[in-house]
Amino acid sequence: MNAKRESGRAEERAVERIVLRTFANVTGRGGEPLRWTLMTDTPVGTLGLAASEAGLAQVSFVKNEDRFLAQLLDAYGERPLLHVPRALDDARHQLDRYFAGRHLDFDLEVDLSTVAGFSLKVLQATARIPAGRVLSYADVARRAGNARASRAAGNALHNNPVAIVVPCHRILRSDGSLGGYGGGLPIKEWLLEHEGARARALA
Amino acid sequence: MSYLIVDHSQRVARLLALHGIELARHLRRLVRDDDAAQDLLQDTLLRAHRALTRLGSGANERAWLYRIATNAALNWLRDRARERRALEAHAREPADADGDAGSGFDAEDRAALWQRVAGLPQRQRVALTLRVADELEYPDIAARMGCTEAAARANVYQAVRRLRVEGLA
Repeated sequence: MNAKRESGRAEERAVERIVLRTFANVTGRGGEPLRWTLMTDTPVGTLGLAASEAGLAQVSFVKNEDRFLAQLLDAYGERPLLHVPRALDDARHQLDRYFAGRHLDFDLEVDLSTVAGFSLKVLQATARIPAGRVLSYADVARRAGNARASRAAGNALHNNPVAIVVPCHRILRSDGSLGGYGGGLPIKEWLLEHEGARARALA
Repeated sequence: MSYLIVDHSQRVARLLALHGIELARHLRRLVRDDDAAQDLLQDTLLRAHRALTRLGSGANERAWLYRIATNAALNWLRDRARERRALEAHAREPADADGDAGSGFDAEDRAALWQRVAGLPQRQRVALTLRVADELEYPDIAARMGCTEAAARANVYQAVRRLRVEGLA
């Protein structure tokens, strides 16, 4: 039936073009697309992943597809979103490796273009904390350029769009207590224990 | 009024963000034409949106969208075959009325096949196109139709059997 079957890659490109042109026609909007997918059955539940051409833009703890989609439409509603279940292979692979405990650090391009100013500096400082280490909110605020802004640093971390990969779970209170976490404290505790950081607390 | 427009485009954007890639692939494999697939995708979304406005979101949105898309694609294929037949008949007219059984026969044959596929019960029609045009395995067909694998298998089997019986008749 198919004398000359096109390559899977060529087909995917053509299919994406169709969706993008349809999006432009129907909504009258354009912009750079984001590809998204779910990663189910991880030790911390279901993760929603999204990436732009620039890199990984979202790693979120989500209940289901609908919730994650609503969140994406909220954050990127102007831009076309492509549901590509098999996309984001690299991020998926590195997260699998992380959960298996084989390799706790990530080597991924991250797209933080939705974050700006002090918040961005906080997330950039956070991204440099290696697995197994923790910092206090005050530490990370100082590294971001304003030692007295630990509350603002807390807010920036709470709004981190790329959980786990930008390791906001590695920030604790100065007294060693957990502080807060968008995904819930049990997950923060699990991640820290997984990295062998909990016992040491604030070094 | 502008509220409706915003609401409309947001709902279509949601359907597109969730099902766009799958539906575009399905349509493209059926019609083998990028521009037509795009038109049909747009058509599918607008139809779905109109139905949503009337009925509210169905239990299995994905299966329902596949049904709308498959019907739109089969109609398009049928129309195109009819058009081609008309053009060919027109081209033959000045020549000998006896005509030839060359390419016209092929188009007619295919048109007849699609007509019969379009005449199948809805679930059989969707199952068959997912199997034949999308070359999907039964678990994937079941996932898209929101049914069990056994039901997907049965639908394809019944579709093929029905086409065969009609073909022999």
